[in-house]
This record gives sequence, C-alpha cells and structure tokens, in this order.
Amino acid sequence: MAELTRPGVAAEEPARPAVAAPSRRLDVIGRRNIFFLISLVIIIPGIVSMVVNGFQLGIDFAGGNEFLLTFQNNPTQKQVEAAVASEGVTPFVQQSGQGSFIIKTPQLDPNKFQSDLERKVGPIDGNKSSFHQVGATIAGETVTAAALSIAAASALILLYLAFRFRRVQGGWTAGFQFGGSALLALLHDVFLLCGIFSILGTVFKLHIGEIDSLFLTAVLTVVGFSVHDTIVVFDRIRENMIVSSRLTFEQVVNLSIMQTAARSIITSFTVVLVLLSLLLFGGDTLKGFALALLIGIISGTYSSIFNATPLLVVWRRLQPVRR
Amino acid sequence: MLIFSLLVDGAGYTYRVVNHYPLTGSVPGLPPNLNGWQLYNHYGLDLKGGTDIQLQLTNFPAGQDRASVQSRFIDVIQKRVNALGVSEPTVQPGGGGNHDRVEVQLPGVSAADALKLLGRRDKLVVTKWVPDSSITSMPFPGYKPQITPLTSDMLTNAYAGLNPQTSVGWVVNFQYNSQGAGIFSQLTTDAYSACQSQGPTAAQCHITNWLDLSPDDIANWNTKGVELYTSVDQGGKLVSDPTISNGPIPNGQGYIEGNFSQDTAKNLAILLNSGSLPVDFNVLSSSEVGASLGAQSIRLSVAAALLGLIVVIVFMIAFYRLPGLLASLALLCYAGVVLAVFRIVPVTLTLAGLAGFILSVGMAVDANVLIFERFKEEMRAGRTIGAAVDAAVRRAWPAIRDSNTSTLITSLVLIFAAPIQVKGFAVTLAIGVLVSLVSAIIITHNLLAIVLNFGWARTSSLLGVARG
Repeated sequence: MAELTRPGVAAEEPARPAVAAPSRRLDVIGRRNIFFLISLVIIIPGIVSMVVNGFQLGIDFAGGNEFLLTFQNNPTQKQVEAAVASEGVTPFVQQSGQGSFIIKTPQLDPNKFQSDLERKVGPIDGNKSSFHQVGATIAGETVTAAALSIAAASALILLYLAFRFRRVQGGWTAGFQFGGSALLALLHDVFLLCGIFSILGTVFKLHIGEIDSLFLTAVLTVVGFSVHDTIVVFDRIRENMIVSSRLTFEQVVNLSIMQTAARSIITSFTVVLVLLSLLLFGGDTLKGFALALLIGIISGTYSSIFNATPLLVVWRRLQPVRR
Repeated sequence: MLIFSLLVDGAGYTYRVVNHYPLTGSVPGLPPNLNGWQLYNHYGLDLKGGTDIQLQLTNFPAGQDRASVQSRFIDVIQKRVNALGVSEPTVQPGGGGNHDRVEVQLPGVSAADALKLLGRRDKLVVTKWVPDSSITSMPFPGYKPQITPLTSDMLTNAYAGLNPQTSVGWVVNFQYNSQGAGIFSQLTTDAYSACQSQGPTAAQCHITNWLDLSPDDIANWNTKGVELYTSVDQGGKLVSDPTISNGPIPNGQGYIEGNFSQDTAKNLAILLNSGSLPVDFNVLSSSEVGASLGAQSIRLSVAAALLGLIVVIVFMIAFYRLPGLLASLALLCYAGVVLAVFRIVPVTLTLAGLAGFILSVGMAVDANVLIFERFKEEMRAGRTIGAAVDAAVRRAWPAIRDSNTSTLITSLVLIFAAPIQVKGFAVTLAIGVLVSLVSAIIITHNLLAIVLNFGWARTSSLLGVARG
C-alpha cells in the first residue's frame, strides 16, 4: 500500500524533526518595537481612563439594588424614569427589551419601591423580573476576593511555568524568564481589557461597560486563555532549542512563532466564532461577558505572538544565560 | 472513567424511560442520586428562578460555641423552609471560622415571601403587666410589660385551626411541655384573679404575646410603647393580647387569637414549631430571579452554544477534512461526557457555569487543533501515517498539558478564593478541562488511528495535508 508522503520527500528517508523552515516568514523579533508600540497605543488611554474615571461599577462591587422589571403595559422609558425619580432616587433606567427595564438604586426598601412603581407605571410580571440587593459588606468582600484570586492565580501560573521550563538551557533562571514573559503578556491583556471597559463605561457611559462579577469571570478566563496561547509558543521554543542547537535564540523564537501561528489563529478564530454567537444571540445578561471575552481573546492571541515572545528575547539579552 | 460516566448517565435515562418518569428534572419521591438513578441537570437559581439570601448572624451569645449556634440557626431555618413546601431548598453555613454567615436558596419563592419567613428573628415573647408609676404611655398608663420565662422552645406543638369556641376566624393552638405548663398555669391563675378583682379592662388581666420584644424596648416604653403595641403586620411587635377571664389554664394548652387569616395563622404556627432563632441577623444580600427570565436565559445560552458548536464543526471539517470530522465526533462525545459528569456529581449549573462549560468546549477544540497541526507537520516531514499520528499526539502533549494545567490552576484558585458568583464558572471549567485532557488524547487519538487503518481514508484530499 502506497504511503502518503509529501512530494519530493522519499518515503525511505528517516523522518526529520519538524523544524523545517516555513516558506513565508515574518520577522516578529526584528520588528518587536513596532508591536510593543501598537500595544502601548491601545493600553495607555485605557490606563488613563482607569486612573481618572475608574469604572462603572455594577452592584456586585458598588452595593445597592438592581431591578429588572417587566411591565405588562409596555411603558416608555420616560414614564419609568419619572416614576423612579418621584421615589427620590436619581434615575438609572435602561430599557432591555419589550416592557423590560433595568433600574439601579441605592439601598432602599425593595418591596415598597416595587409596589410604588406598580401603582405609578403598571402591573409587573414577576416571572419575567429579577431583583438583586447587595450590601456594602458583601460588595467589599467581592472586590477583595477578586483582587486576591487574580494575584494568586498569576503567582501560581508563574511558578508552574518556571517549574515546567526549568530544564531548558539556563535552568530556573530561564524558567522564570519564560514564566515572567508569559505573566507580562497576561498583564497586558488584563490591563487592555479593563482599560477598554473603563472607557466604555465611563467615557461612553454604556451599560455594557459595567464591571460586575461576570466581568471578573471574563478577566480570569482571559488570564487562562492568554497563558494557554503563550505556552503553546513557548513549548515550541523549548522543543526547538533542543533539536536545533545551531540556530541563535532569536532564530529559534522566530521559527517557533511561525510554526505555531496557524494553530493560535485558528483556535482563537473558533473561540471568536462561539463568542460572536453569544454576543449576538446570548441574551442581555451575557452580552457584556461575551464582549469582554472577545476583546480578551483577541488581545491574548496578539500578545502571545507579538509581546510574550519578543519580551522573552529582550529579557534574555538583558540577563544572559550560559548556553 | 468516560465510559463509566456515559453508562451511568445512559442507565439513568433508560431507567426513566422504562418507568415512565419525565426525562428531565427532579422526580419527587426519588432521593437525588440514588445509585445514580436519579440524574438530571441541576440548575442554579439564576436559571430556574427563585431567591438567594445571604444572612449575617450577629449578637452571638457569649460563652457558646459559635459553630453549634450556627447549626442551630440553620436547623430552625430549615424547619421553616420545609414547612413552606419549597422543592430543593438549600440552607448552608458560611463565614469560615467565624461561623457567622448562612446562605438560603429558595427556588420559586419571591424575595418578599422569603423575607417574610426569614426576615425576623421571630422569638415568641410572653409578658404579663406590672405596675410602674413612671409609665404614661398607652395602652395601659401606669403599667409596663414584664417578660416571663416562657419561650417557644417550651412548646411541644403549635398548629393553626378555627377558633374552637366560635368556629369563626383562625387561631394558633399550642401545647406547652410540663415546665412551660407550670409557668403558664401560674401566669394565668394570677391574671384570672386580677380579672375577677379589677375587671376585664385592667392591665393585669392580660397575658400578652409578642414577637421579638426586647428588654431594651421595655426600658423605653414611654416613647416606644404605642408603636410596639401594634400588630406585627403593621410594623409593631404585638401578636395577641387576650384577657384571662375564663379561668386559669392548668394543662399548658391554649390558643392565640389575633385577627389571623388562614395564612398568617399557619405562618405563626410554623415559626412557633421551628423554635426561635438563637441569634439575630442582617440581610447581607438578596437576589431574586423570575422563573421565565431564568428559562429564557437557558434557552438563549443553549441556542448560542448549539450555534457555536455547529459553526465550529463546519469550520473544523472545512479546514481539516476527515480529521476535522473525527474531531467533531470527539467533541460531541466530550460534551456528552461533561454533561453526564455534571449530572452525576452533581454540579449546579448557573449562568456563569454555562459560560465555563462553553469555554471548556473551546479549549477542547484547541487540543484537537494542536494535534492536527502537528499531524500535518509530521506528514510533511515524511512520516508514515501511523507514525505521524503517534508523533503528533506525543509532541502536542506537552503544550496541551501545560496550557490546560495553567487553566486548571486558575480555576482551582477561583473555586477556593473567588467571590461566590464566580465559583460555578470555575467548577464547570475545571471539570471541562480535566475531561478534555483525557478526551483529546484518548478519543481523538484512537479515532484517528482506527479510521486511518482503512485505505480509503488515506487519500490526501481527505486528510487535507497536500494543501499545506
């Protein structure tokens, strides 16, 4: 039976390790400064916005009440706003569907508020409504737990990567260079995502830019995914460093990027497809989540190719390890 | 493990079909997960509708073990919830070493109704009235209430019923134990003699029932008395204020009148039966989701997930041809196994949990893509098909292992440290990643190896290799 082989390669030739240089090449390492610059251009406005404006906080973090009320008589936004304002509350009212409104208030008696609105606007369908009340204690704890879990997850990932990459030339030092570069790329994604949401929420005042626990979930997912992407490239570098000792480190890195780029882009593309379907059809509660993931995944793919690996090269130059 | 999960899950559904049970949801009367027979998707409150309340316990009595106070608190809440007839309620402890948190989840109950049941400490307080010349306040100037040692813990039974004398209106019947009966007998004897000597309007003729009346309230009787002496429904603390004009009650048996409706009488009976809560509490957060809103979330998420799955499958087949088809099969197996694991554990699915599952599908796809890209490379490098499959799986493994491990690390951190809303996400993601580690290696690898044994499968157009 004829074995399938690539044209031009004799079947009896022993299999070569898969390091053959691909035909098309993009010199990522040589042009690293351009890619760093692109990242900075996107990140810096976000950081400025985070420092100056902060975030539009959801009730998970800010505390207070959030109602989703569905009125059976399909009132206008103006009617609902007027009714909320007459309760002595600055109205935050947003229409979310046929007769449905999201209303945010500070702490108040939810039952009285709801029955007052029913009297002033019209009957509420309790089956299609929701109500969340978060006290200041819980809100504070959520913020602490969020910060803590991101820090702990980052530290553990750094340690794990250092452990996994300790066998490349340079030992633990090199291990921490790999882990550290992955971590920096990860922080890149976290800052980029938070920055964009800060701008969406405070500059454009969009509800989708609101920070809640679901957004926190998205950030942590992006952390996982970003590292995921970076590790695939780093794993290839680790392998190529062993099988092709003739190449310089820069060459090995560039080769590895080229070899894994197809996979990174294909995977991200499939995830982007799933997220787009969530964003378009996934219902109101999931839209912000899907958008956050979408931004994060795209950023994660970019940063693993164009930030993490060039950073590794720069780091290795600044802190050379003996070959 | 995978086959086991599918077998148990499949057997569970077969059992249901054979016995004509509905295919989804909990079947009443069957305990959950009885040998794995009772399997269904467990949905969180944000998907099936209901109320979730976090309580902060305060004013722990000094010198008592906090953990046991907390568990007594939970017992009482549990009794109240069970008496309400809610399906699958959960009452669980929290607050770590402080033992000062309790979370109550009530499917299908509105926040207002839930708080009616839980929102007060609801300690039954029985008072007599004693002379105090400094009291100017109504209802009895010159008298203030004095708390008697009777507590609802001394009740052996309480139940709602029609007024046994008039058969009109609802009352709450009660029965004290011997200790309570003794105290109650003394109280009613004293009150009866006051009724005889001073007439039925006299303060000392009354034995008054309150909810949560505190010594502090009595100390400020002149300012707060009128407000407190109004019925519980109207914001006061008064339950009933009968006169003991028919004679002492020696056997500890009686009933409370108080303008009850059937519901309010039943509620009070529930509260009395369940005993009083050992500590006070505040509501930290409460969250209510309407049932059809939750159902809509499920519909939309499932639709989005299915659409995403179809798009991914079409894309994989278009891009990778035969291996893509095999990967899609593996992906469907994967999704089946994960859902089976969710039902067996069981994992309660929330909106965030569904998101975690969808994400894990994405990561499972990634493992397959890694293997196929590697397979193409190995083929180009001139390996035979069999060797290329083995090499692809072997060489893709470190990347799959390391990337999934780091995701696993993140999700484990989340399970232990993250805010409660994120935990559901972390659990489903962790399970998904663990299963995908196994499925990518075993299912995809074996499917590839088996199918590529057939000669027809080895054409380059089916493998999509020559294009590269």
